[in-house]
Amino acid sequence: MEGIGDSALVVARSLQSGRRLRRQLADKLFTGALSGIALFSVVAVLAIIGVIIVKGLPIISWSFLTSPPAEGMTAGGIYPMIRGSVLLMVGTLVIVLPVGILGGVFLAEYAGTNVFSRFIHASVASLAGTPSVIFGLFGLAVFVLMMKMGVSLLAGCLTLALFTLPAVVFTTENAIRSVPESFIEAGMALGLSRWQILWKIVLPNAIPGILTGVVLSTGRAAGEAPPILLTAGIYYATGALPRGWEILKQPVANLPYHLAEGYRQGGVIPEAIVWGTCLTLMLFVLSINIWAIIVRTRVRRRQRW
Amino acid sequence: MVSSTAFLAGEYIAVETYSLSVFYGETQAVKDVSLPIARNRVTALIGPSGCGKSTFLRCLNRLNDRIPGFRMEGRVRVLDVDPYGKQVDLIELRRRVGMVFQKPTPLPMSIYDNVAIGARSHYGLRGKKLDEVVEQALQRAALWDEVKDILKRPALQLSGGQQQRLCIARMLAVEPEVILMDEPCSALDPISTFRIEELMIDLAKDHTVIVVTHNMQQAARVSDYTAFFMYGELVEYDSSKQLFLSPRQKATEDYISGRFG
Repeated sequence: MEGIGDSALVVARSLQSGRRLRRQLADKLFTGALSGIALFSVVAVLAIIGVIIVKGLPIISWSFLTSPPAEGMTAGGIYPMIRGSVLLMVGTLVIVLPVGILGGVFLAEYAGTNVFSRFIHASVASLAGTPSVIFGLFGLAVFVLMMKMGVSLLAGCLTLALFTLPAVVFTTENAIRSVPESFIEAGMALGLSRWQILWKIVLPNAIPGILTGVVLSTGRAAGEAPPILLTAGIYYATGALPRGWEILKQPVANLPYHLAEGYRQGGVIPEAIVWGTCLTLMLFVLSINIWAIIVRTRVRRRQRW
Repeated sequence: MVSSTAFLAGEYIAVETYSLSVFYGETQAVKDVSLPIARNRVTALIGPSGCGKSTFLRCLNRLNDRIPGFRMEGRVRVLDVDPYGKQVDLIELRRRVGMVFQKPTPLPMSIYDNVAIGARSHYGLRGKKLDEVVEQALQRAALWDEVKDILKRPALQLSGGQQQRLCIARMLAVEPEVILMDEPCSALDPISTFRIEELMIDLAKDHTVIVVTHNMQQAARVSDYTAFFMYGELVEYDSSKQLFLSPRQKATEDYISGRFG
Protein backbone atom coordinates (compact mmCIF):
# COMPACT_ATOMS: atom_id res chain seq x y z
CA MET A 1 0.00 0.00 0.00
CA GLU A 2 2.77 2.31 1.00
CA GLY A 3 4.55 1.71 -2.33
CA ILE A 4 1.51 2.64 -4.37
CA GLY A 5 0.98 5.76 -2.34
CA ASP A 6 4.58 6.78 -2.87
CA SER A 7 4.53 6.36 -6.63
CA ALA A 8 1.26 8.27 -6.89
CA LEU A 9 2.92 11.05 -4.99
CA VAL A 10 5.92 11.03 -7.35
CA VAL A 11 3.63 11.26 -10.38
CA ALA A 12 1.67 14.06 -8.79
CA ARG A 13 4.87 15.92 -7.95
CA SER A 14 6.27 15.64 -11.48
CA LEU A 15 2.95 16.84 -12.93
CA GLN A 16 3.03 19.70 -10.52
CA SER A 17 6.59 20.69 -11.38
CA GLY A 18 5.70 20.65 -15.10
CA ARG A 19 2.86 23.00 -14.40
CA ARG A 20 5.12 25.17 -12.31
CA LEU A 21 7.67 25.41 -15.13
CA ARG A 22 4.98 26.48 -17.58
CA ARG A 23 3.66 29.03 -15.13
CA GLN A 24 7.14 30.46 -14.58
CA LEU A 25 7.72 30.66 -18.32
CA ALA A 26 4.43 32.48 -18.90
CA ASP A 27 5.28 34.83 -16.08
CA LYS A 28 8.67 35.64 -17.62
CA LEU A 29 7.20 36.18 -21.10
CA PHE A 30 4.55 38.49 -19.75
CA THR A 31 7.03 40.49 -17.70
CA GLY A 32 9.28 40.76 -20.74
CA ALA A 33 6.45 41.98 -22.97
CA LEU A 34 5.40 44.58 -20.41
CA SER A 35 8.98 45.85 -20.01
CA GLY A 36 9.28 46.10 -23.78
CA ILE A 37 6.15 48.23 -24.05
CA ALA A 38 7.28 50.42 -21.17
CA LEU A 39 10.69 50.82 -22.78
CA PHE A 40 9.06 51.81 -26.08
CA SER A 41 7.17 54.68 -24.47
CA VAL A 42 10.32 55.87 -22.75
CA VAL A 43 12.23 55.77 -26.03
CA ALA A 44 9.45 57.68 -27.82
CA VAL A 45 9.45 60.45 -25.22
CA LEU A 46 13.26 60.65 -25.18
CA ALA A 47 13.35 60.80 -28.99
CA ILE A 48 10.93 63.73 -29.16
CA ILE A 49 12.69 65.64 -26.41
CA GLY A 50 16.09 64.77 -27.88
CA VAL A 51 15.28 66.10 -31.36
CA ILE A 52 13.85 69.34 -29.97
CA ILE A 53 16.85 69.89 -27.71
CA VAL A 54 19.39 69.11 -30.40
CA LYS A 55 17.72 71.38 -32.96
CA GLY A 56 16.60 74.12 -30.62
CA LEU A 57 19.42 74.48 -28.13
CA PRO A 58 22.01 76.13 -30.44
CA ILE A 59 19.94 79.28 -30.89
CA ILE A 60 18.80 79.65 -27.29
CA SER A 61 20.68 82.40 -25.52
CA TRP A 62 19.86 85.16 -23.06
CA SER A 63 19.35 87.66 -25.85
CA PHE A 64 17.12 85.21 -27.80
CA LEU A 65 14.82 85.05 -24.77
CA THR A 66 14.89 88.76 -23.95
CA SER A 67 14.87 90.60 -27.27
CA PRO A 68 12.10 91.09 -29.84
CA PRO A 69 12.26 89.72 -33.37
CA ALA A 70 14.24 91.79 -35.83
CA GLU A 71 14.69 92.19 -39.58
CA GLY A 72 11.15 91.13 -40.55
CA MET A 73 11.11 88.12 -38.20
CA THR A 74 14.20 86.60 -39.75
CA ALA A 75 16.43 87.40 -36.80
CA GLY A 76 16.30 88.51 -33.18
CA GLY A 77 14.54 86.82 -30.27
CA ILE A 78 11.11 85.77 -29.08
CA TYR A 79 10.65 87.90 -25.97
CA PRO A 80 7.16 89.23 -26.93
CA MET A 81 5.93 85.69 -27.44
CA ILE A 82 7.12 84.55 -24.01
CA ARG A 83 5.55 87.62 -22.43
CA GLY A 84 2.29 86.97 -24.28
CA SER A 85 2.17 83.36 -23.13
CA VAL A 86 2.73 84.41 -19.52
CA LEU A 87 -0.03 87.03 -19.77
CA LEU A 88 -2.43 84.50 -21.26
CA MET A 89 -1.66 82.03 -18.46
CA VAL A 90 -2.14 84.58 -15.69
CA GLY A 91 -5.40 85.85 -17.17
CA THR A 92 -6.70 82.32 -17.65
CA LEU A 93 -5.90 81.42 -14.04
CA VAL A 94 -7.62 84.53 -12.71
CA ILE A 95 -10.80 83.56 -14.54
CA VAL A 96 -10.79 79.79 -14.18
CA LEU A 97 -9.71 79.48 -10.54
CA PRO A 98 -12.78 80.93 -8.82
CA VAL A 99 -15.28 79.54 -11.32
CA GLY A 100 -13.74 76.07 -11.53
CA ILE A 101 -13.13 75.65 -7.80
CA LEU A 102 -16.63 76.82 -6.89
CA GLY A 103 -18.02 74.45 -9.52
CA GLY A 104 -16.05 71.56 -8.08
CA VAL A 105 -17.12 72.40 -4.53
CA PHE A 106 -20.73 72.53 -5.67
CA LEU A 107 -20.53 69.15 -7.39
CA ALA A 108 -18.76 67.46 -4.49
CA GLU A 109 -20.64 68.94 -1.55
CA TYR A 110 -23.91 70.48 -2.58
CA ALA A 111 -25.23 68.89 -5.76
CA GLY A 112 -26.03 65.48 -4.30
CA THR A 113 -26.81 62.71 -6.76
CA ASN A 114 -29.94 63.77 -8.57
CA VAL A 115 -30.76 64.20 -12.24
CA PHE A 116 -29.57 67.80 -12.18
CA SER A 117 -26.12 66.97 -10.83
CA ARG A 118 -25.77 64.10 -13.27
CA PHE A 119 -26.65 66.48 -16.08
CA ILE A 120 -23.96 68.93 -14.92
CA HIS A 121 -21.48 66.07 -14.67
CA ALA A 122 -22.22 64.89 -18.19
CA SER A 123 -21.97 68.44 -19.54
CA VAL A 124 -18.64 69.13 -17.91
CA ALA A 125 -17.33 65.75 -19.02
CA SER A 126 -18.26 66.36 -22.64
CA LEU A 127 -16.72 69.81 -22.39
CA ALA A 128 -13.53 68.07 -21.28
CA GLY A 129 -13.59 65.86 -24.36
CA THR A 130 -14.20 68.68 -26.83
CA PRO A 131 -11.30 69.32 -29.24
CA SER A 132 -9.50 72.55 -28.50
CA VAL A 133 -10.16 73.94 -31.97
CA ILE A 134 -13.90 73.97 -31.16
CA PHE A 135 -13.13 76.20 -28.20
CA GLY A 136 -11.18 78.44 -30.54
CA LEU A 137 -14.13 78.76 -32.93
CA PHE A 138 -16.53 79.30 -30.04
CA GLY A 139 -14.29 82.05 -28.67
CA LEU A 140 -14.13 83.67 -32.09
CA ALA A 141 -17.90 83.56 -32.50
CA VAL A 142 -18.91 84.59 -28.99
CA PHE A 143 -16.14 86.62 -27.39
CA VAL A 144 -14.46 88.17 -30.43
CA LEU A 145 -17.46 88.83 -32.67
CA MET A 146 -20.68 88.69 -30.68
CA MET A 147 -19.39 90.42 -27.56
CA LYS A 148 -17.20 92.64 -29.71
CA MET A 149 -14.00 92.08 -27.79
CA GLY A 150 -12.05 91.73 -30.98
CA VAL A 151 -8.99 89.54 -31.23
CA SER A 152 -7.58 90.37 -27.81
CA LEU A 153 -5.87 89.11 -24.68
CA LEU A 154 -9.22 89.12 -22.87
CA ALA A 155 -10.95 86.99 -25.51
CA GLY A 156 -7.99 84.58 -25.48
CA CYS A 157 -8.01 84.27 -21.70
CA LEU A 158 -11.76 83.64 -21.65
CA THR A 159 -11.41 80.96 -24.33
CA LEU A 160 -8.52 79.28 -22.53
CA ALA A 161 -10.46 79.50 -19.25
CA LEU A 162 -13.36 77.64 -20.85
CA PHE A 163 -10.91 75.10 -22.23
CA THR A 164 -9.39 74.41 -18.81
CA LEU A 165 -12.64 74.69 -16.83
CA PRO A 166 -13.62 70.99 -16.94
CA ALA A 167 -10.22 69.86 -15.69
CA VAL A 168 -10.31 72.36 -12.82
CA VAL A 169 -13.88 71.42 -11.88
CA PHE A 170 -13.12 67.70 -11.88
CA THR A 171 -9.80 67.89 -10.04
CA THR A 172 -11.43 70.08 -7.41
CA GLU A 173 -14.31 67.66 -7.06
CA ASN A 174 -11.96 64.68 -6.77
CA ALA A 175 -9.66 66.45 -4.33
CA ILE A 176 -12.64 67.30 -2.13
CA ARG A 177 -14.06 63.80 -2.33
CA SER A 178 -10.71 62.33 -1.30
CA VAL A 179 -10.66 64.26 1.98
CA PRO A 180 -11.21 61.47 4.55
CA GLU A 181 -14.81 61.09 5.70
CA SER A 182 -13.50 60.89 9.26
CA PHE A 183 -12.42 64.57 9.13
CA ILE A 184 -15.86 65.62 7.96
CA GLU A 185 -17.56 63.50 10.62
CA ALA A 186 -15.28 64.95 13.27
CA GLY A 187 -16.39 68.43 12.19
CA MET A 188 -20.05 67.42 12.15
CA ALA A 189 -19.80 65.85 15.60
CA LEU A 190 -18.36 69.12 16.93
CA GLY A 191 -21.38 70.99 15.64
CA LEU A 192 -19.56 72.93 12.94
CA SER A 193 -21.75 74.22 10.14
CA ARG A 194 -21.48 72.88 6.63
CA TRP A 195 -19.79 76.10 5.58
CA GLN A 196 -17.25 75.91 8.42
CA ILE A 197 -16.49 72.28 7.64
CA LEU A 198 -15.93 73.25 4.02
CA TRP A 199 -13.66 76.21 4.78
CA LYS A 200 -11.76 74.99 7.80
CA ILE A 201 -11.48 71.27 7.16
CA VAL A 202 -12.28 70.23 3.60
CA LEU A 203 -10.70 72.94 1.48
CA PRO A 204 -7.38 73.20 3.38
CA ASN A 205 -6.97 69.46 2.92
CA ALA A 206 -8.01 69.48 -0.71
CA ILE A 207 -5.72 72.37 -1.70
CA PRO A 208 -2.70 70.27 -2.77
CA GLY A 209 -4.86 68.21 -5.10
CA ILE A 210 -6.67 71.26 -6.46
CA LEU A 211 -3.44 73.18 -7.04
CA THR A 212 -1.82 70.30 -8.87
CA GLY A 213 -4.81 69.83 -11.12
CA VAL A 214 -5.16 73.52 -11.85
CA VAL A 215 -1.53 74.08 -12.68
CA LEU A 216 -1.21 70.94 -14.79
CA SER A 217 -4.26 71.82 -16.86
CA THR A 218 -3.26 75.45 -17.33
CA GLY A 219 0.19 74.19 -18.24
CA ARG A 220 -1.37 72.12 -20.97
CA ALA A 221 -3.49 75.05 -22.07
CA ALA A 222 -0.38 77.21 -22.30
CA GLY A 223 0.87 74.97 -25.09
CA GLU A 224 -2.41 74.85 -27.03
CA ALA A 225 -2.49 76.83 -30.27
CA PRO A 226 -6.08 76.38 -31.55
CA PRO A 227 -7.93 78.24 -28.77
CA ILE A 228 -5.86 81.40 -29.16
CA LEU A 229 -5.20 81.20 -32.89
CA LEU A 230 -8.41 83.04 -33.73
CA THR A 231 -9.06 84.84 -30.45
CA ALA A 232 -5.86 86.37 -29.11
CA GLY A 233 -2.91 85.67 -31.34
CA ILE A 234 -1.03 88.10 -33.46
CA TYR A 235 1.85 87.38 -35.75
CA TYR A 236 4.00 90.15 -34.49
CA ALA A 237 3.76 92.77 -31.80
CA THR A 238 6.22 95.51 -31.14
CA GLY A 239 8.15 95.45 -27.90
CA ALA A 240 6.01 97.97 -26.06
CA LEU A 241 2.70 96.99 -24.45
CA PRO A 242 -0.13 99.42 -23.69
CA ARG A 243 -0.47 100.40 -20.04
CA GLY A 244 -3.22 99.42 -17.61
CA TRP A 245 -6.40 97.64 -18.64
CA GLU A 246 -5.83 98.63 -22.28
CA ILE A 247 -3.60 95.58 -22.44
CA LEU A 248 -6.69 93.34 -22.30
CA LYS A 249 -8.04 94.79 -25.54
CA GLN A 250 -4.89 94.13 -27.53
CA PRO A 251 -3.97 90.89 -29.27
CA VAL A 252 -0.77 89.33 -27.99
CA ALA A 253 1.98 87.40 -29.70
CA ASN A 254 2.61 84.12 -27.90
CA LEU A 255 4.63 80.93 -28.18
CA PRO A 256 2.14 78.42 -29.65
CA TYR A 257 0.87 81.00 -32.13
CA HIS A 258 4.40 81.80 -33.17
CA LEU A 259 5.07 78.13 -33.79
CA ALA A 260 1.90 77.62 -35.81
CA GLU A 261 2.54 80.71 -37.86
CA GLY A 262 6.19 79.84 -38.18
CA TYR A 263 5.19 76.87 -40.30
CA ARG A 264 2.23 78.47 -42.02
CA GLN A 265 4.23 81.41 -43.32
CA GLY A 266 6.42 78.88 -45.08
CA GLY A 267 9.99 79.80 -44.49
CA VAL A 268 9.81 83.44 -43.47
CA ILE A 269 10.85 82.53 -39.97
CA PRO A 270 14.17 80.68 -40.10
CA GLU A 271 14.00 77.07 -39.00
CA ALA A 272 16.46 77.64 -36.20
CA ILE A 273 14.16 80.22 -34.61
CA VAL A 274 11.16 77.87 -34.89
CA TRP A 275 13.08 75.08 -33.16
CA GLY A 276 14.23 77.51 -30.51
CA THR A 277 10.62 78.59 -29.97
CA CYS A 278 9.66 74.95 -29.77
CA LEU A 279 12.21 74.24 -27.06
CA THR A 280 11.24 77.40 -25.18
CA LEU A 281 7.57 76.39 -25.21
CA MET A 282 8.47 72.94 -23.95
CA LEU A 283 10.56 74.36 -21.12
CA PHE A 284 7.79 76.85 -20.34
CA VAL A 285 5.22 74.08 -19.88
CA LEU A 286 7.75 71.89 -18.07
CA SER A 287 8.61 74.65 -15.60
CA ILE A 288 4.92 75.14 -14.84
CA ASN A 289 4.56 71.42 -14.12
CA ILE A 290 7.68 71.34 -11.97
CA TRP A 291 6.35 74.30 -10.03
CA ALA A 292 3.11 72.38 -9.47
CA ILE A 293 5.00 69.38 -8.13
CA ILE A 294 7.10 71.53 -5.78
CA VAL A 295 4.05 73.33 -4.39
CA ARG A 296 2.22 70.06 -3.89
CA THR A 297 5.04 68.33 -2.03
CA ARG A 298 5.56 71.43 0.13
CA VAL A 299 1.90 71.57 1.14
CA ARG A 300 1.72 67.79 1.58
CA ARG A 301 4.70 67.77 3.88
CA ARG A 302 3.04 70.34 6.10
CA GLN A 303 -0.14 68.28 6.47
CA ARG A 304 0.40 64.57 6.44
CA TRP A 305 -2.36 62.09 7.13
CA MET B 1 -37.41 42.30 24.09
CA VAL B 2 -36.68 44.07 27.30
CA SER B 3 -39.66 43.89 29.58
CA SER B 4 -38.82 46.06 32.53
CA THR B 5 -36.63 49.04 33.19
CA ALA B 6 -37.40 49.05 36.89
CA PHE B 7 -33.65 49.05 37.61
CA LEU B 8 -33.60 52.67 36.34
CA ALA B 9 -35.87 53.81 39.17
CA GLY B 10 -34.69 57.10 40.60
CA GLU B 11 -32.60 58.00 37.55
CA TYR B 12 -33.27 61.03 35.41
CA ILE B 13 -33.65 59.88 31.81
CA ALA B 14 -31.48 62.11 29.59
CA VAL B 15 -31.75 60.22 26.31
CA GLU B 16 -34.50 57.94 25.13
CA THR B 17 -35.60 56.11 22.01
CA TYR B 18 -39.08 54.76 21.37
CA SER B 19 -39.44 51.89 18.88
CA LEU B 20 -36.43 53.11 16.93
CA SER B 21 -35.81 51.30 13.65
CA VAL B 22 -33.05 52.20 11.21
CA PHE B 23 -32.72 51.08 7.60
CA TYR B 24 -29.84 51.36 5.16
CA GLY B 25 -31.63 50.81 1.87
CA GLU B 26 -33.19 47.36 2.22
CA THR B 27 -31.20 46.30 5.27
CA GLN B 28 -32.59 46.95 8.69
CA ALA B 29 -29.76 47.82 11.08
CA VAL B 30 -31.77 48.63 14.20
CA LYS B 31 -35.06 46.90 15.01
CA ASP B 32 -37.67 48.49 17.22
CA VAL B 33 -35.34 49.56 20.02
CA SER B 34 -36.78 51.39 23.03
CA LEU B 35 -33.95 52.40 25.31
CA PRO B 36 -34.01 54.95 28.12
CA ILE B 37 -30.56 56.16 29.19
CA ALA B 38 -29.77 57.63 32.62
CA ARG B 39 -28.24 61.07 33.03
CA ASN B 40 -24.70 61.37 34.38
CA ARG B 41 -24.06 57.65 34.22
CA VAL B 42 -22.00 55.48 31.92
CA THR B 43 -24.18 53.27 29.75
CA ALA B 44 -22.42 50.61 27.67
CA LEU B 45 -23.78 49.20 24.44
CA ILE B 46 -22.34 45.75 23.73
CA GLY B 47 -22.95 43.07 21.14
CA PRO B 48 -21.34 41.31 18.18
CA SER B 49 -20.13 43.28 15.15
CA GLY B 50 -22.92 44.52 12.94
CA CYS B 51 -25.50 44.30 15.69
CA GLY B 52 -26.56 47.92 15.21
CA LYS B 53 -25.06 49.48 18.31
CA SER B 54 -22.94 52.02 16.40
CA THR B 55 -25.89 52.85 14.17
CA PHE B 56 -27.99 53.39 17.29
CA LEU B 57 -25.35 55.70 18.73
CA ARG B 58 -25.13 57.74 15.55
CA CYS B 59 -28.87 58.37 15.59
CA LEU B 60 -28.45 60.38 18.75
CA ASN B 61 -26.42 63.15 17.07
CA ARG B 62 -27.63 62.47 13.52
CA LEU B 63 -24.28 61.45 12.18
CA ASN B 64 -26.01 58.92 9.92
CA ASP B 65 -27.33 61.69 7.71
CA ARG B 66 -24.60 61.44 5.10
CA ILE B 67 -25.00 57.70 4.59
CA PRO B 68 -26.90 57.00 1.36
CA GLY B 69 -30.14 55.08 1.88
CA PHE B 70 -30.42 55.95 5.56
CA ARG B 71 -33.98 55.97 6.88
CA MET B 72 -35.38 55.81 10.42
CA GLU B 73 -38.69 55.10 12.07
CA GLY B 74 -39.79 55.62 15.64
CA ARG B 75 -38.85 58.48 17.91
CA VAL B 76 -35.71 59.76 19.56
CA ARG B 77 -35.38 62.21 22.42
CA VAL B 78 -31.99 63.63 23.36
CA LEU B 79 -32.12 65.96 26.39
CA ASP B 80 -35.17 68.04 25.54
CA VAL B 81 -35.02 67.83 21.75
CA ASP B 82 -36.08 65.49 18.99
CA PRO B 83 -32.99 65.23 16.73
CA TYR B 84 -35.19 64.28 13.79
CA GLY B 85 -37.82 66.93 14.46
CA LYS B 86 -38.44 69.73 12.00
CA GLN B 87 -37.48 72.47 14.45
CA VAL B 88 -34.14 70.97 15.44
CA ASP B 89 -31.01 73.12 15.46
CA LEU B 90 -28.49 70.49 14.36
CA ILE B 91 -25.49 72.62 15.20
CA GLU B 92 -26.66 73.18 18.76
CA LEU B 93 -27.69 69.52 19.10
CA ARG B 94 -24.22 68.39 18.08
CA ARG B 95 -22.62 70.88 20.44
CA ARG B 96 -24.63 69.39 23.32
CA VAL B 97 -23.98 65.82 22.17
CA GLY B 98 -20.25 65.24 21.73
CA MET B 99 -18.73 62.22 20.04
CA VAL B 100 -15.49 60.27 20.21
CA PHE B 101 -14.75 57.89 17.36
CA GLN B 102 -13.14 54.49 17.17
CA LYS B 103 -10.11 55.74 15.29
CA PRO B 104 -8.66 58.90 16.81
CA THR B 105 -9.54 61.68 14.36
CA PRO B 106 -7.35 64.68 15.10
CA LEU B 107 -7.69 67.23 12.31
CA PRO B 108 -4.54 68.03 10.34
CA MET B 109 -3.84 71.25 12.21
CA SER B 110 -2.02 72.18 15.40
CA ILE B 111 -2.87 70.67 18.79
CA TYR B 112 -4.13 74.07 19.93
CA ASP B 113 -6.32 74.59 16.87
CA ASN B 114 -7.83 71.13 17.23
CA VAL B 115 -9.17 72.04 20.64
CA ALA B 116 -9.96 75.63 19.72
CA ILE B 117 -11.90 75.04 16.51
CA GLY B 118 -15.20 74.17 18.21
CA ALA B 119 -14.96 76.80 20.96
CA ARG B 120 -14.17 79.47 18.39
CA SER B 121 -17.14 78.53 16.29
CA HIS B 122 -19.73 78.11 19.06
CA TYR B 123 -18.71 80.82 21.51
CA GLY B 124 -16.72 83.17 19.26
CA LEU B 125 -13.85 83.05 21.73
CA ARG B 126 -10.51 84.70 20.93
CA GLY B 127 -7.17 85.39 22.61
CA LYS B 128 -6.82 84.83 26.36
CA LYS B 129 -10.35 83.52 26.86
CA LEU B 130 -9.78 80.92 24.18
CA ASP B 131 -6.40 79.96 25.67
CA GLU B 132 -8.16 79.32 28.99
CA VAL B 133 -10.83 77.14 27.44
CA VAL B 134 -8.21 75.13 25.54
CA GLU B 135 -6.17 74.63 28.69
CA GLN B 136 -9.18 73.58 30.75
CA ALA B 137 -10.31 71.10 28.12
CA LEU B 138 -6.83 69.60 27.87
CA GLN B 139 -6.59 69.42 31.68
CA ARG B 140 -9.91 67.63 31.90
CA ALA B 141 -8.82 65.18 29.21
CA ALA B 142 -5.60 64.50 31.19
CA LEU B 143 -3.44 65.64 28.29
CA TRP B 144 -2.32 69.13 29.35
CA ASP B 145 0.94 68.14 31.02
CA GLU B 146 2.05 66.22 27.96
CA VAL B 147 1.29 68.90 25.37
CA LYS B 148 1.47 72.28 27.13
CA ASP B 149 4.87 73.05 25.57
CA ILE B 150 4.06 71.80 22.07
CA LEU B 151 0.65 73.31 21.45
CA LYS B 152 1.69 74.63 18.03
CA ARG B 153 2.84 71.25 16.77
CA PRO B 154 0.69 69.26 14.33
CA ALA B 155 -1.75 67.06 16.23
CA LEU B 156 -0.88 64.13 13.98
CA GLN B 157 2.55 63.88 15.64
CA LEU B 158 0.95 62.70 18.88
CA SER B 159 0.70 59.01 19.77
CA GLY B 160 -2.59 57.17 19.24
CA GLY B 161 -3.56 57.38 22.90
CA GLN B 162 -2.71 61.07 23.06
CA GLN B 163 -4.67 61.69 19.87
CA GLN B 164 -7.74 60.07 21.40
CA ARG B 165 -7.45 62.21 24.52
CA LEU B 166 -7.02 65.23 22.24
CA CYS B 167 -10.28 64.33 20.55
CA ILE B 168 -11.91 64.13 23.97
CA ALA B 169 -10.49 67.56 24.86
CA ARG B 170 -11.72 68.96 21.55
CA MET B 171 -15.19 67.70 22.36
CA LEU B 172 -15.10 68.98 25.97
CA ALA B 173 -14.15 72.47 24.77
CA VAL B 174 -17.68 72.98 23.41
CA GLU B 175 -19.23 71.86 26.74
CA PRO B 176 -21.39 68.91 25.70
CA GLU B 177 -23.92 67.38 28.06
CA VAL B 178 -24.06 63.95 26.45
CA ILE B 179 -20.92 62.13 25.31
CA LEU B 180 -21.12 59.37 22.71
CA MET B 181 -18.12 57.06 22.43
CA ASP B 182 -17.88 54.61 19.56
CA GLU B 183 -15.36 51.96 20.61
CA PRO B 184 -12.98 54.67 21.83
CA CYS B 185 -10.25 52.26 22.92
CA SER B 186 -10.25 49.58 20.27
CA ALA B 187 -7.28 51.16 18.45
CA LEU B 188 -5.29 51.82 21.63
CA ASP B 189 -2.74 49.98 23.75
CA PRO B 190 -3.69 48.77 27.28
CA ILE B 191 -2.18 51.74 29.12
CA SER B 192 -3.93 54.29 26.90
CA THR B 193 -7.11 52.25 27.26
CA PHE B 194 -6.83 52.40 31.04
CA ARG B 195 -6.47 56.20 30.94
CA ILE B 196 -9.51 56.63 28.70
CA GLU B 197 -11.54 54.36 30.99
CA GLU B 198 -10.58 56.49 33.98
CA LEU B 199 -11.64 59.52 31.98
CA MET B 200 -15.03 57.99 31.21
CA ILE B 201 -15.72 57.46 34.88
CA ASP B 202 -14.59 60.99 35.67
CA LEU B 203 -16.66 62.51 32.85
CA ALA B 204 -19.80 60.69 34.00
CA LYS B 205 -19.84 62.89 37.12
CA ASP B 206 -21.35 65.65 35.04
CA HIS B 207 -21.96 64.10 31.62
CA THR B 208 -24.20 61.39 30.28
CA VAL B 209 -21.76 58.93 28.75
CA ILE B 210 -22.88 56.32 26.22
CA VAL B 211 -20.13 53.98 25.07
CA VAL B 212 -20.14 51.30 22.39
CA THR B 213 -17.56 48.67 23.16
CA HIS B 214 -16.45 45.22 22.12
CA ASN B 215 -14.52 44.82 25.29
CA MET B 216 -16.68 43.08 27.91
CA GLN B 217 -14.22 43.75 30.73
CA GLN B 218 -14.32 47.41 29.82
CA ALA B 219 -18.10 47.49 29.91
CA ALA B 220 -18.09 45.72 33.27
CA ARG B 221 -15.41 48.05 34.69
CA VAL B 222 -16.70 51.43 33.66
CA SER B 223 -20.43 51.25 33.03
CA ASP B 224 -23.38 51.60 35.35
CA TYR B 225 -25.83 50.14 32.86
CA THR B 226 -25.34 47.83 29.92
CA ALA B 227 -27.50 47.13 26.90
CA PHE B 228 -26.84 43.98 24.87
CA PHE B 229 -27.69 44.17 21.15
CA MET B 230 -27.91 41.33 18.66
CA TYR B 231 -29.03 41.41 15.01
CA GLY B 232 -30.26 44.97 15.50
CA GLU B 233 -32.45 44.07 18.46
CA LEU B 234 -32.07 45.04 22.07
CA VAL B 235 -31.81 41.67 23.80
CA GLU B 236 -31.16 42.63 27.38
CA TYR B 237 -30.79 45.87 29.31
CA ASP B 238 -29.91 46.01 32.96
CA SER B 239 -27.53 47.38 35.53
CA SER B 240 -24.06 46.23 34.50
CA LYS B 241 -23.65 44.27 37.70
CA GLN B 242 -26.84 42.30 37.10
CA LEU B 243 -26.18 41.79 33.40
CA PHE B 244 -22.62 40.55 33.75
CA LEU B 245 -23.12 38.48 36.91
CA SER B 246 -26.47 36.89 36.21
CA PRO B 247 -27.80 37.57 32.72
CA ARG B 248 -31.44 36.66 32.22
CA GLN B 249 -31.20 35.74 28.54
CA LYS B 250 -29.36 32.73 27.15
CA ALA B 251 -27.95 34.81 24.25
CA THR B 252 -26.51 37.37 26.66
CA GLU B 253 -24.89 34.67 28.72
CA ASP B 254 -23.38 33.04 25.64
CA TYR B 255 -22.01 36.35 24.43
CA ILE B 256 -20.49 37.60 27.67
CA SER B 257 -18.93 34.23 28.39
CA GLY B 258 -17.23 34.41 25.01
CA ARG B 259 -19.08 31.62 23.27
CA PHE B 260 -19.53 33.76 20.14
CA GLY B 261 -19.07 37.28 18.84
